[in-house]
Amino acid sequence: MNGPLPPPGRELGHYVSDIPFDPKAEPGGAYLGMGSASQFRLTWLKFRRHRLALISGVFLLVIYGSLLITEFLAPYRLDSRNLDFIYAPPQRVHLFHEGQWVGPFVYGQTMRLDLDQLRRVYSDDPQDIQKLRFFCRGEEYRFWKLLPADLHLFCPAEGGRLNLLGTDRLGRDVLSRILHGARISLTIGLLGTMVSFVLGIVIGGIAGYRGGWFDHAMQRMIEVIQSIPSIPLWMTLAAIIPMSWSPLLVYLGITVILGMLDWTGQARAVRSKLFALREEDYVLAAELMGAKTPRIIGRHLLPGVLSHLIASASLSVPAMILGETALTFLGLGLRPPVTSWGILLTEARGINIVALYPWLLWPMLPIILVILAFNFLGDGLRDAADPYH
Amino acid sequence: MPGVCHSPDRGGAMKGPVLTRRKATAMLACATAFGPQAGRGFTGAAMLDERVAAGELPPVEMRLPVEPRVIDLDALGRSAGQHGGTLRVLIGGQRDIRYMPINGYARLVGYDLQLNLVADILSAWEVHEGRSFTLHLRKGHRWSDGHPFTAEDFRYCWQDVILRDDLGGMPPEMRLEGQGPDFELLDDLTLRYSWPAPLPDFLPLLAAPSPLRICMPAHYMKGFHASYASPDRLDALIRAERVDDWQALHQKMSRITRPENPDLPTLDPWRPRTRPPAQQFVFERNPFFHRVDQKGRQLPYVDRVVMNVSTYDIIPAKVATGESDLQAFGIDFSDYTLVKEAESRFPIKVDLWTRTQGSRVALLPNMTCADPVWSALFRDVRLRRALSIAIDRTEINKALFFGLARESANTVMPESPLYREEYARAWAQYDPDQANALLDQTLLSKPRMDGLRRLPDGRVAGILAETAGESTVETDVLELVAGHFHAVGIALWTRVSQRDLLRSRSMAGQTSMAVWMGLDNAVPTAEMPPYELAPTTDDQHQWPRWGVHYSSKGAQGIAPELPEVQELVALVRRWRLSRSHDERTEIWHRMLAIHADQVFTIGTVNGAKQPVARHARLQNVPETGLIGFQPTSLLGIYMPDTFWQKDEG
Repeated sequence: MNGPLPPPGRELGHYVSDIPFDPKAEPGGAYLGMGSASQFRLTWLKFRRHRLALISGVFLLVIYGSLLITEFLAPYRLDSRNLDFIYAPPQRVHLFHEGQWVGPFVYGQTMRLDLDQLRRVYSDDPQDIQKLRFFCRGEEYRFWKLLPADLHLFCPAEGGRLNLLGTDRLGRDVLSRILHGARISLTIGLLGTMVSFVLGIVIGGIAGYRGGWFDHAMQRMIEVIQSIPSIPLWMTLAAIIPMSWSPLLVYLGITVILGMLDWTGQARAVRSKLFALREEDYVLAAELMGAKTPRIIGRHLLPGVLSHLIASASLSVPAMILGETALTFLGLGLRPPVTSWGILLTEARGINIVALYPWLLWPMLPIILVILAFNFLGDGLRDAADPYH
Repeated sequence: MPGVCHSPDRGGAMKGPVLTRRKATAMLACATAFGPQAGRGFTGAAMLDERVAAGELPPVEMRLPVEPRVIDLDALGRSAGQHGGTLRVLIGGQRDIRYMPINGYARLVGYDLQLNLVADILSAWEVHEGRSFTLHLRKGHRWSDGHPFTAEDFRYCWQDVILRDDLGGMPPEMRLEGQGPDFELLDDLTLRYSWPAPLPDFLPLLAAPSPLRICMPAHYMKGFHASYASPDRLDALIRAERVDDWQALHQKMSRITRPENPDLPTLDPWRPRTRPPAQQFVFERNPFFHRVDQKGRQLPYVDRVVMNVSTYDIIPAKVATGESDLQAFGIDFSDYTLVKEAESRFPIKVDLWTRTQGSRVALLPNMTCADPVWSALFRDVRLRRALSIAIDRTEINKALFFGLARESANTVMPESPLYREEYARAWAQYDPDQANALLDQTLLSKPRMDGLRRLPDGRVAGILAETAGESTVETDVLELVAGHFHAVGIALWTRVSQRDLLRSRSMAGQTSMAVWMGLDNAVPTAEMPPYELAPTTDDQHQWPRWGVHYSSKGAQGIAPELPEVQELVALVRRWRLSRSHDERTEIWHRMLAIHADQVFTIGTVNGAKQPVARHARLQNVPETGLIGFQPTSLLGIYMPDTFWQKDEG
């Protein structure tokens, strides 16, 4: 048989390229500069190609950045009421008045009490043009509860009123409340995730690296925690928070509760990753050189799983935000005067609102947007975390 | 107002030392003169005709007492109607079937529209020296199962229930200085309760929304009583009903506050036909009900009341889509716009009635709370006064009640003969400066950097107000009040709780401030007992532990420490021994004056409006009126048995 195979016992012939090869040379083409690229750079390059994730990431950065200057962005303070304009519908921003360019303005509104139906009827007054002001001196506030200031991004005309998303039953500006509520709702997600992150890494890390009885105990505990339906568990934990706590402490308590229930998934991921990684030679080398457990976990093992952790953390933030909203909606979470999106939605519950004052449902929109953005971002991060795939 | 028999004068049955026989006969005559004679002129509901024809029910003449209570609807400005129809009502939960006996309001004696006591189930009563009460039953009156209603039912309740300590014993209201009445059976239809001294609240207790119970359907209840029923039968029933012993069985089978036992004979206009648990409770006309209209038509007009279990969140929406024929609870003032708007789309009609509470929302600082710092502060009248005048009631009225309520302390309303303007105005004006000045005199520090005062032990002066969470009005008022309090350096936080939880926490001293309604009955007459103004029960959130001390006769709780409260308790005791109308009036005024001065409870606005929605076809529902648990028994005094449905078209 005339085949390509040589007779038994002889060496196999093989092809050797005669193009010169320099093992230290950089790869060209699409992989130009990637040979020595850091993990971070690889991840970023991959992430950049996920358009939706990129946009979401920028959106979230902007939103979180805005939390720092909420007082400046919101036209009104959180607690300012205007009892002359209760349940006022959203005002429209106009640019032209009777065909004439005026610049952004709203019409002033007049309120009439309809004593037959007992409702407040608002109508635009076409003579009353209230020009919006920008970078203006408006309602006074304490920046970060410390510095007195009165600068706003935009404010109503002098003596005028500006409720772009309407007002609620106490005449409070819905837009300002949404902006202020973002502070609580968004940070609760981050803080909660951080708590679960730390717990997950520590517990999952030790369990994964050490194994043994600790691992067994933790696995059983995780299984138990995961088997409990979440809403009743939240309710129980939230009920434990003493009633006499101030709203701020309650906020922290809720954060911790949310974090405490979320770490199980993280811990499992860390553990299973470490199970694989701890068999690597470099771990053995480190052990032989006398490194202690914390150093091995922290320095040698965790970097290998960190990208995954970040991706899964970004997916758990929206769950936290929704958790807060759900808890508060059930009346177990935050309570006024702390204002979160959950609180705003709780107040917008009831047939009256849907039928008569639908603008109070606006807080749903930022919730939906933020949750979506986090999900896209997490999706993109997860893809990017493993750049060689 | 013929037909509706008054007691001879306002509460006067107890007024003089001797009730004359003349007055008593006048009352009897009043009952007889307008009743068409038995055997002619009565009309029964068509719904029952079939059962009459089948011989299951006697004809209407036999079902009515010889002298039924005649309601002259013309005199009330209402119209005589026709039988038939179903009344749909929405309730927020199964326990709300308790509204049925309250709205039905068949009482031995009850209030009429002017809040005078009139004989209802009784044909008449006589009072001797304010301490001896002779009750006359209607001849031929029957329970809803057709069994005669006689003095035996009172004897059974007295001898076999009240006198037996293992069946709950004698209600404390029946005791005078620890002593119960003497009970006498004069004949088959006449009985007498007599105490050694006057007991002015006996008749008001019988007219209450949850009345003092002195009669039971003996023929039925004997089947659950160890003295009458065989042990074997009881054992079987105890197992079947899953109760511990026959006493629990007896109690369960005889319960009327929630009509859960369809077999229990009743005297109410409608009798329950549904055994819980259920999503729909049907009440059917009582074929033996004792009232007729002036044309001899047996009441109630409406054949059936159907209560559909819903939730409080949904009730307004359902009312606004015409799913209820009569709704006076479960909808709030803030729902009025929604329901009113629906008038054009659905055959409904909604009117505004006036609530009888002393304050729509009241803050009750718990003077017996466990926190020693707060309880000491709350006992300081300056703090209570300061909190009261720190509240801008005009703002509350304008923002939440369309300015239709009255800004007032928690006291009686102008509709009450006991009303005085100074009670309503005392410490109810808005004066933050004076409030600050008053607070500076208390143990609280001056406001710090954050604008808040500090307690003597260094904590922030923040009050946690707990609400029962049954209405958003409370949280809205609190939101406004929190702003007012902040201006005088006190933080106010809200916690939405739940009625029973709030009560037990309050009792244990865990709540520092409860948010509740004001006085239940803010339209009292001097003849109505002033228990609400003094610590008498454990559900008074401003002094639960003092209240339980009174109701348990010192066995639980602690005796009131404040001299003003001690005086209130003494005044209540005096009222219970009072002999004359003038004396009772004087006691009431003294108590109201103490309340006005001491601000034990902090009122906001009263006379708040309550929407009452009904089907457009439903006749005889007044367009306006007072509504509350006390004294009107919700719709009770307006007699829902006289409401009727007009044919369409």
